[in-house]
Amino acid sequence: MADTPQMQQQALAPEEPRADGQPGDRELVERAQKGDGAAFAQLVERHQRQLYRLALRMTGSEADAQEVLQEAFLNAYQKLPLFRGEAQFSSWLYRIAANSALMRLRRKRRAPDSLSDQALELSGPRFSAEGYLEPTSSSDWSQRADERMMSGELGAAINKAVEQLPDDYRTVFLLKDVDGLSNEDIAQALDLTVPAVKSRLHRARLALREKLGEFFDAPAK
Amino acid sequence: MTSPIEHCKECVDLLGEYIEGTLQPEQAKALEDHLSLCPPCITFVRTYRATRKLCRAALVTDMPHELMSSLSSFLGKHVPGFPCSKPDSSAVAMEATADIGPKKV
Repeated sequence: MADTPQMQQQALAPEEPRADGQPGDRELVERAQKGDGAAFAQLVERHQRQLYRLALRMTGSEADAQEVLQEAFLNAYQKLPLFRGEAQFSSWLYRIAANSALMRLRRKRRAPDSLSDQALELSGPRFSAEGYLEPTSSSDWSQRADERMMSGELGAAINKAVEQLPDDYRTVFLLKDVDGLSNEDIAQALDLTVPAVKSRLHRARLALREKLGEFFDAPAK
Repeated sequence: MTSPIEHCKECVDLLGEYIEGTLQPEQAKALEDHLSLCPPCITFVRTYRATRKLCRAALVTDMPHELMSSLSSFLGKHVPGFPCSKPDSSAVAMEATADIGPKKV
């Protein structure tokens, strides 16, 4: 890959050494920008799992996730000369993959016009007029989870409850609480602000908590 | 100075940031003071935490090895110098019919 003025890195703080002794992303990106395919392969190996989860959560399909991944990494390679290093490489990559997933969804006419325009019908805890929790919102089922999990009933209830979340809330919840992405990476990928990510995450958790409470309060089958 | 938290609703509103440790220390202290006097909110915190734990246990997923192999093979055809990993036996069958376009699972 040809060296261009756009590739010149700004004066950035030294990269933190990795615990595993491997080169950091910035060093690998610089090598890949100079045409080192093996360095790009290391970046792929390092980020493919998280990118797969992002693509899978956004598209809901393993086949679509695979195509998003191929497109995203190829796109990233082609745009690598434009990467200046102001953002984390992972955040930049998530954004490329998220755009690819959104375009795929729109082609299938499954995507909302805007992540923020969906009607919101989320349940949550109930409070008295004075702002105190209603007794129905304070049943303690947290200690009963393991035995019910063994039956598989709980897994089905969780899947159903998550499916019922609005798309943009579900995606944020899965990326954060299941896949472990940071709020900043999610915000970058989904083109949201960090406060919007936190708000959706909290509301999704509250809605899921209500659903799980209903499950545990129902008589066992 | 942060006002004391009197009502459960304020406590619940702050819970997301509290369990992630991103709440301002004064707000966290006010929330903990409320919790020390409010058993329903203690239960709420427990079930809120359990929700995250249970959902993660039920829904966590990893990238299939076959997909890693096919991604590596795909990029090997498009990125100069990209080293293709040796495909496993299940991926060999997939690659026999592959073209350079995205593959179906």
